[in-house]
Amino acid sequence: MNRLYYTFIILILVGNVYSQSVSDVKNFFKSYCINCHGPDKSKGSITLHSMNFDLAKGSELDKWEAILEALKSGEMPPEDEKQPNDKERKSIAVWIDEGLRAYIKNASEKPSEPTTRRLTNFEYQNTVRDLLGFEIELISNLPEDPVKPYKFNNQARYMLMGMEQLDRYKENARKAMASAIVDPVKPKIHKTRKEWKPHPGANPTEVQFDEIGGRRGSPGGGMGLKSWPQTGEFVIRVKAAGIFPRGIKEIPLRLVMGYNLGKNQSTLQVEHVGTVAIKGNADNPEVFEFRGRIENFPAEPRVNKDKTTYSMTMTPQNIYDDGRLNDNINKMRRPRIIINWMEFEGPVYETWPPKHHKDILFDSPLRQSHPQEYVKAVLKKFMTRAFRRPVQEEEVSRYVAIYNQVKVDFSTLEEAMRETLAMVLISPDFMYHTVQSEKTNRHYEMASRLSYFLWGSMPDETLFSLASQGKLTDSKVIEAQVLRMLKDERAEDFVRNFTLQWLSIEKMKQVAINKDLFPRFLYTIKRGERTGLEVPYIPTVRDYMMDETVGFIGELIKRNASVLNIIDSDFAFLNQRLAAHYGVEGVEGHELRPVPVKPEHNLGGLLTQGTVLIGNSTGTAPHPIYRAVWLRDAILGDHVKDPPAEVPALSDTAGESAEKALSIKDLLVKHRQVESCNDCHVRLDPWGVPFEHYNAIGQYQPMVPKTGVNIRGLKNSNEESESLEDYKKYLKSVNTVEVDATARVPHGPKVTGMKDLKKHLLKDRKDDIAKNMIKNLMTYGIGRELTYHDRYRIEEIFNQLRENNFKFQDMIIAICKSKTFQGEQ
Amino acid sequence: MRSVKVKLSRENNKMKRKSWHLTRREMLRASGIALSLPYLEAMAIDTKKSSKNPKRMVVTYFSYGAYMPHGASGIQDMKKPHHEWSWWPCKEEGELTFNKNQAPFKPLKNEVTYLQGLDHAGGWVMGGHSSGDVFATGADMMGSETSNNISVDQAAAKVMGHHTRYASLTLGTEGGTGSYGSSKTLSHYGPGRPIPALSKPQVIFNRLFKPYAGKSIEQVRMELKREKSVLDLILQQSKSLNNRLGKADKEKMDEYLESIRSAEKRIDRVTDWTYKPVAKVKDNAVNLDVNYKNPQEYIRCMYDLMFLALQTDSTRFITFQTESENSQTHEAWNFATYALGYKGATHDIAHKRPADYSGQWDQWRNANHAYFVQRLKDTREGDSNLLDNTIILWGCGHPHASHSTRNYPLQLAGGKNLGFKHGRLHKFIGGKKVPMANMFVTMLNGVGVPTRKFADSTGEMTELTS
Repeated sequence: MNRLYYTFIILILVGNVYSQSVSDVKNFFKSYCINCHGPDKSKGSITLHSMNFDLAKGSELDKWEAILEALKSGEMPPEDEKQPNDKERKSIAVWIDEGLRAYIKNASEKPSEPTTRRLTNFEYQNTVRDLLGFEIELISNLPEDPVKPYKFNNQARYMLMGMEQLDRYKENARKAMASAIVDPVKPKIHKTRKEWKPHPGANPTEVQFDEIGGRRGSPGGGMGLKSWPQTGEFVIRVKAAGIFPRGIKEIPLRLVMGYNLGKNQSTLQVEHVGTVAIKGNADNPEVFEFRGRIENFPAEPRVNKDKTTYSMTMTPQNIYDDGRLNDNINKMRRPRIIINWMEFEGPVYETWPPKHHKDILFDSPLRQSHPQEYVKAVLKKFMTRAFRRPVQEEEVSRYVAIYNQVKVDFSTLEEAMRETLAMVLISPDFMYHTVQSEKTNRHYEMASRLSYFLWGSMPDETLFSLASQGKLTDSKVIEAQVLRMLKDERAEDFVRNFTLQWLSIEKMKQVAINKDLFPRFLYTIKRGERTGLEVPYIPTVRDYMMDETVGFIGELIKRNASVLNIIDSDFAFLNQRLAAHYGVEGVEGHELRPVPVKPEHNLGGLLTQGTVLIGNSTGTAPHPIYRAVWLRDAILGDHVKDPPAEVPALSDTAGESAEKALSIKDLLVKHRQVESCNDCHVRLDPWGVPFEHYNAIGQYQPMVPKTGVNIRGLKNSNEESESLEDYKKYLKSVNTVEVDATARVPHGPKVTGMKDLKKHLLKDRKDDIAKNMIKNLMTYGIGRELTYHDRYRIEEIFNQLRENNFKFQDMIIAICKSKTFQGEQ
Repeated sequence: MRSVKVKLSRENNKMKRKSWHLTRREMLRASGIALSLPYLEAMAIDTKKSSKNPKRMVVTYFSYGAYMPHGASGIQDMKKPHHEWSWWPCKEEGELTFNKNQAPFKPLKNEVTYLQGLDHAGGWVMGGHSSGDVFATGADMMGSETSNNISVDQAAAKVMGHHTRYASLTLGTEGGTGSYGSSKTLSHYGPGRPIPALSKPQVIFNRLFKPYAGKSIEQVRMELKREKSVLDLILQQSKSLNNRLGKADKEKMDEYLESIRSAEKRIDRVTDWTYKPVAKVKDNAVNLDVNYKNPQEYIRCMYDLMFLALQTDSTRFITFQTESENSQTHEAWNFATYALGYKGATHDIAHKRPADYSGQWDQWRNANHAYFVQRLKDTREGDSNLLDNTIILWGCGHPHASHSTRNYPLQLAGGKNLGFKHGRLHKFIGGKKVPMANMFVTMLNGVGVPTRKFADSTGEMTELTS
């Protein structure tokens, strides 16, 4: 009786809150919102005059959530409009919040977004690798997964499927099974060996090459293979040493294999075999060993009179780079690599048939005595792993039927099984996340959720075994598993895939860098008709920048550091080339690692990393609008709308301004004078201006040329000298004015430059930054957009983590423990 | 819901399973003669049956709009003089004259038509970065559809595709499908089913001309037969999975099931085609050793492959999307840099319209397209030429102004035997404005697919044929 009474009271109370406030809310809207978002104007295409004020009806709740956010953050009403007092603001926010909360609590309807999604290319590739037990490249045959700025591509609606695509999956499946199951006969071993000897009487260090190459016949030309196997693992051994100019202790040797790089073309295809650090001099050469699968390397087709033959070449590269690559410095000052010999051998295997074969076609007396039983057992074992769950008899028998269907056409069990298992690999149970399937009990479901989140791949034996024991919903078990999984090297895949999409920085690879202004950023061809173009197939500082950002996030996770380190940190993640680029001294070697930063480096956090700064520049000049959009979208979690149709373009900087300095700030002001632009840009541009001390290639450069000064680059001003020092002198001579990097950020203080901006973000926007991080990790983890249904679960996680200042691992653990992650509505 | 209303004129297209011509070919091959059979000889048997002059359609797309200094909205400003670098060849409606931008088409004056003032209303709200999605579909993206819809080439291929080994061919410089708002393909089977574009010349060549990858015909037929029964079993398995899903998920899964079903249907077709000879093209008929760093060679190679596909009657319906407005992560982003030395992303040309690059960039693209048109014209077919049997649309999803989605730059070429007349600039402005889909209706009727309505069309575009 008592209980019922209470419920009744509460209902009345809640009811009262609503009925009393609806007119208040309407009045509030009338006073502060409708002017711009009503029947007359609809700024940002948002209108509020015809909203349904009965939240319990559940209509337009996304819109209500957006209003709530705008009110709470103070973003609306805009600063130059009439403002409600704090009490008014708060009471309206509470009203919306309670309405939302009540609706979500009572809602019977589930979010309608599909969660059945096919594996992304990235997940597909990794899953095949872990299922078969070896690396095989399959992605290049598939249509690329869509790239959406600031979105994760693992969502069902982006993962389309059509007949043509199915064809590619079929080709891939057959290719993979052809490698996985071998023929009973031991294959022939292919060997090639090449030695380089100095000319008689010459210095034994003559067989060397530097980053540009070596003389004709030097090891820089690499080794062509006489013959090579079609499938299987190979090993390459290289005996090498270095010639070290003073002060240089190691030289990175990179090995690529595929087309012959000797030709001056860019159609060449090669794949990276491995990179090692050479530390021994000519008296102390070392033998290095590289391994790989031959299927993953492109053989070069050569058409000779009606007949196509193929060739395969391995090429060593000296990729030492201290930022002076394009300098015309004395050759003898460059570190060089000596190679005495290289050899190729393949296939190599410890047992025959290899392990990956025996894992599928295991030894069993059944194979002879009861062939049908054997086939069934093989299929059951393979399907259980491929489907990531126990399979039912009826499912196995369907594939037994397929086996029986195909075996007539094949002479051996191996061949027939290849074809049958290839068909398993195109079945929806393999290609789709089937967490919704009734057959998948929640523990197996959880195993897959965890493994696709933190590895981008299928569960391993430990997860399967925990699932079979029904332990994977236990909080402690989840925590232990997350920690274990983050330590596994497969977690690097997660960090890379997540980071690149979250920050939307892959576009930085395609920004056309102004080579006159930044002659040392790319490695350019010096001679021949392709002079000035980028040297292909050799990593440059641009490539290392991706590793820098990914490695930085990886390091934060590894240290269980606060996610707020993305704004500022006491370390950067660098190697020698990156350090040279950013002006950090004393970093040697090719490996990236955490390096402590000092205030004068103007580094720390994500905001000053080359990926971010270049990706959001024009290649000639910084682009404050791109940078502002990046900060708001990726870091603060505000969704910035695309410019509407028909907006006049900001006549920004690249291209035409390459030769004349322009103040971007003046341009922005011009742009904002148009009212339709101003509405959005007044809230956008100020975020980009404090980045202005960083130039288009991501270096700290507070001084710029005076407006109107010719900045045609070093080449045209002084053709004689192209050394790094002279270049720096030249820059100093033209860059005479300090950039104006001062702006008052919306609803915040006036900030000057990056340090101020970081201070402001860490002081006033901490909660938004942390919440955005939780949302991003959650969205990636569950493969769907968050809706207002998830709002309060996110808040719960946020509150849990606040006490310890939002530590990274804690955040991932809290997400994995949450009901949203576990698929409960 | 849009639909293509077509009268199915179901010709009796059961393939004859006599293979005497095959034997002859094999004999020739055995005697070591590298054959490059001209169209008529290779396809003699088929053409007698279907039609003397194959009717073909090509839809090609260029990105980032075009240079229109005196008429940024896509309509020439009649108060201003005509600009020598404007994408429009001339100012006045009527007979064509050619400026610098369109100079590459001057020798083709009587083969081309320009159309001003046309666009797809369905793409208006998408914004200039995305309106290319609907270029070949005209789908209504104003709200009701976000999954796009059938494209004009597929509407034709559905009815006429069985006449050739490949119902259609979908090409693009970037490959794949892209996604909503950033499509990398022009072709769609229907709602939510974009067709991935092929972008690698060697792959395209092999798919067209080496479909059996060195296997014997008997082996291929055997495999096809087996594959069909296996697909059938997979379909059963998949259906049982589908029954357990919720509504939204079921729809997602339908994509997969539909793919399997189409694959099964295609097997029947492919099997029929194994009774006909594969068009033989020499390996060196086209230079496949091309790459994105030399965009001219790459684009022309793609055009050469299209030419070969049409010439050998391997297919009659092709789409080709060059670049896209969303190429940031692709080399196509730098095409103008590689081709012309422009310092900036190609996309920036559309935003900044630098006077010294915009018209030249258009001209460069025009020259490549004119190369293709000319090559078709120079190739005899029956008693006319390939071009006269092929209607080619060439255009973009927005004009000069960087984010506008109206008044596309459009050119039609060829198709005289399909009823198209040329040599004029048409203006569909003011009271004469009609949906661009009207042009699709006329194109579909031209290639022998009787059509009354396509997308938001309101009728035929008789100006093109009279």
